[in-house]
Amino acid sequence: MAIKVKRTPRPERPPLWKRLVLGELIEGLMVTLVHNFRALREPFTVQYPDEQLPLEPRYRGVPRLRSHPETGEELCISCHQCERICPDRCIHIEDEPHPSGRGKRPRVFTIDYERCCLCGLCVEACPTKPVTSIYMSHDFELARYRRDEFKADLRELYFGKDKVVYGRRS
Amino acid sequence: MSEPLELQGADRDEGTVVLNMGPSHPSTHGVLRLVLDVDGEVVTRCRADIGFLHRGFEKIAENKTWTQFITWTDRMDYLAPVSNNVAWALAVEKLLGIEVPERARVLRVLLCEMARVSAHLLWLGTHALDLGAATVFFYTFQQREILYDLYERLTGARFTTSTVRIGGMARDIPEGWLDDVRAFADQVTKVIDECDRLLTRNRIWLGRTQDVGIISREDAIAWGCTGPVLRGSGVEWDVRKAQPYLDYDQYDFEIPVGTVGDVYDRYLVRMEEMRQSVRIIRQAIERMPDGPLNADAPKVVLPPKEKVLTSMEALIHHFIIVTEGFHPPEGEVYHAIEAPKGELGFYIVSDGGPSAYRCRIRPAAFVNLQVIEKIAVGQMIPDVVGIIGSLDPVMGEVDR
Repeated sequence: MAIKVKRTPRPERPPLWKRLVLGELIEGLMVTLVHNFRALREPFTVQYPDEQLPLEPRYRGVPRLRSHPETGEELCISCHQCERICPDRCIHIEDEPHPSGRGKRPRVFTIDYERCCLCGLCVEACPTKPVTSIYMSHDFELARYRRDEFKADLRELYFGKDKVVYGRRS
Repeated sequence: MSEPLELQGADRDEGTVVLNMGPSHPSTHGVLRLVLDVDGEVVTRCRADIGFLHRGFEKIAENKTWTQFITWTDRMDYLAPVSNNVAWALAVEKLLGIEVPERARVLRVLLCEMARVSAHLLWLGTHALDLGAATVFFYTFQQREILYDLYERLTGARFTTSTVRIGGMARDIPEGWLDDVRAFADQVTKVIDECDRLLTRNRIWLGRTQDVGIISREDAIAWGCTGPVLRGSGVEWDVRKAQPYLDYDQYDFEIPVGTVGDVYDRYLVRMEEMRQSVRIIRQAIERMPDGPLNADAPKVVLPPKEKVLTSMEALIHHFIIVTEGFHPPEGEVYHAIEAPKGELGFYIVSDGGPSAYRCRIRPAAFVNLQVIEKIAVGQMIPDVVGIIGSLDPVMGEVDR
C-alpha cells in the first residue's frame, strides 16, 4: 500500500516590501492583539482558591466508603477485592463477623492516600449493591501537615475529614 | 564504579570547558542532564545523562497483573497517557488473541489522536517558550485545558486517565461528549493556524530553528529515530501506515514528511501532524458505531455490575479476575503503536501467569534522545536548547 505522504515545504521568502515593513512580525502581533481583546472580554482562567471550577460527575478524587443510600446500612462486606486489585496496595482491611451473624464487616479499613494513585480499579472490583461501597469522591485538595494524616481510617472514609484550612502554622 | 560523566575522556583538547546543563534546567523538559564540552560557545561534545526519573517499570510489570500495569503505563509518557494505555492493552490483547469490538477500536483511535494533539500542543508551547516566544505557550495551554476537560468527562481524570482495559474500555462515552470533541476539533484548528501565523514565517523563529541540529536521512535511520524526528528527516515511516492497527488503514490521512531534517522541519512536521490528527478525530466521530464496548471474553473482561449480582457464573469470573487476574497463553509478543513521540512498543514474554514474565518497553523518546550526542556537536549552546525541544523527550518515558 502506498503511503500517503504530505511534504511540508519551507515557506517562500516573503517579498521585499513585506520584509522591509517587518510584515511577518506584524502578522504575529495581530494574533496577540486579537487574543488580548478576547481575554479581556471573557477571561479563561479562574481565581482558584476563591473560585472553584465544577467537577465532572465521573471525576476521580480520593476513594471513600459509603453506606446504603436509603437504609443507611454499612455496605462493605469485607470481601477484600479492592485490596487485591489495588495496584499500589494502599488498602488494608481486617474483618470481624457481622453483628447480625451473617457475613463479615470491616473492623479496620485503611486507605493510604500517600500511595493511592486514584486509578479507580477498586470501584470496578467492588461487588456490593445497589451502589459500590467504595467510590471515588470529588475531594482533591489533599495537602496535610503530617504524613500519618494521610492514612484514612474507617471514620474518615465514611464521613470525610474536616476541611484543612491551609495557611501558615502558628 | 566508573568515573563521573564530566570527568570521562580526560584527553579533551586544551581550552574546552565542561558545562552541565540540567538536570533541573527549565529547557530540558524534566530531569535531563547534558554534559557539554564547550569551546567558547560551540559544543564540541555532548553526553546525555539520564535515569533521574527511573522507576523500574519493566520490573514492576513482572509483579503486577496485566490489568494493574495499565495504571503504570499512564506515567510513562505522561503527556499522552492514553497512547501508552492503548499500546499496553493492544500488546496483551495480541497475546490473548482477542479483538475488541469496533466501538472500542474507534474510541481508542479517537482518544489516541486527542492525546497526540495534546502532546504536540504542549511540545509547541514549551518549544517556543524555550526559544523565546512566550505567547504561544498560553494559547496552546488554553486548548490543552479544554482537552483535559474532555478527558475528565470521559475518564474521570485529567492526566492519568487509566481508561483502557484489556479487552475493551472502562467507561462508555457520556452524553453529548462527541459533540464537544467536534467543537474542540473546530477551534483547535484555528489555534494551530494562529500559532502558525505567529511562528512559521517569523524571522526570529527562522533564525533560531533553520539549519540547526540537522539529522540526515541516513543518520535518522541508523540511530533508530521514530516519529516526527524520523519524518522530519524525510523518511516516510509511520506505524499507523506501515503496520496498521486499530483500523488505521481505513482512515484518510497523510503523514507529513520534512526535507532537510533540522529543527524547523521537525516543527513543520509536528504542526502538520496536529492538523492530520484533527482530521482523524473528525472521521472517528463520524464512524463511532453503537454496540458493545468490551470484547466477549468472560475470562478476561470484568462482567457488568448488574450481572455480577444476578449470575453465578459472572460472579465467579468477577472474583477470579479481580483477585487473581487472567492467564494468557505462554508466548512472546511485540506490538508497537505510533505514539506522539514515535514508535512505542511493548515486548511481552508470558509464562502463562497473571503477570508478565518479562516486559520490555521500547520507548520512542529514549531512542530519539540519543541522537542528541551526534547533532549537538558543532552547535552553539543556545541551539542545544532548541535541539532538545525539537527531539521532544519526555523523561518519564526515557527513564521509565
